[in-house]
Amino acid sequence: MARVPLRRDVVTEQVATLDVPLVELVDRLLNRGVVLTGEVTISVAGVDLIYLGLSVVLSGVDTIRRHGADI
Amino acid sequence: MSLLLRAIVAAEDAGVAADLGLFSVSGTRAAALASAWDTARAAGEAELLDHHRIVQAVFERVPCLPARFGSAFADEEALRLRLALREVDLAAQLVRLGHRCELAITCAWREQEALPRATIVPARSGRAYLERGLTQMRVERARERRAEAIVARLLSELAIEPAFIRHRICPRPAVAVSMSVLVTRDEIEEMSSRVERLGAQLGDVTTVMQGPWAPYTFAVSE
Repeated sequence: MARVPLRRDVVTEQVATLDVPLVELVDRLLNRGVVLTGEVTISVAGVDLIYLGLSVVLSGVDTIRRHGADI
Repeated sequence: MSLLLRAIVAAEDAGVAADLGLFSVSGTRAAALASAWDTARAAGEAELLDHHRIVQAVFERVPCLPARFGSAFADEEALRLRLALREVDLAAQLVRLGHRCELAITCAWREQEALPRATIVPARSGRAYLERGLTQMRVERARERRAEAIVARLLSELAIEPAFIRHRICPRPAVAVSMSVLVTRDEIEEMSSRVERLGAQLGDVTTVMQGPWAPYTFAVSE
């Protein structure tokens, strides 16, 4: 299974709060664009956030923040 | 060696990979551009932005479909197999989107919430709790209605074909509208002027336009 662990610094306050333009870009990098691979798991600090069998879903910053707060 | 997918280009444009230090896996109609990737490597903000820089470098040279960050393949053969399954669709998307750019238009509320929700003190009573929730809900509804009105203004001002626009209202507390528009390069300047003109008329939001980017929002996965 392809796997790209995501470091926790993605959820820094700088990215996740008021830096709107950067968040807009990160949202596109993580949530949009062509997907070819069948399975990808993204994790923050070693904890898998999202897993889908045949689709690929990479979490956006908002989602990462919500889950990251529980880690 | 694992590969991290960066972009899809037409098969005849695969040569751009060598200019950018990328690997290319070519089919008959489309080619996948990728970088060597250590799957044990953690990715963070720097790697995300690096992905964007690579995609933009490809996009500046040839029409391309940007890859969502994180598509890693065990080896070249694995990538080749996945490309073959999607090649017809990807080639069609390249024809439709490849020569167009994405502009991101963001309207952020000038007035942010006084207190982040997490820091609000507990209510003194159940009634106070419910009243506070009701007030919050009314504020959110009012913002949604205002955001919808802003979208209507943007759509009217930009006058773009509906198929070339995507938008979300209130996707985050700080943001009223997040919009993506697909334009040709010679339309960018005019679009920028229109957004700037409208932004000056919208007193309650700060309007920012970013791009041109590769068409992330319009490249579909299925």
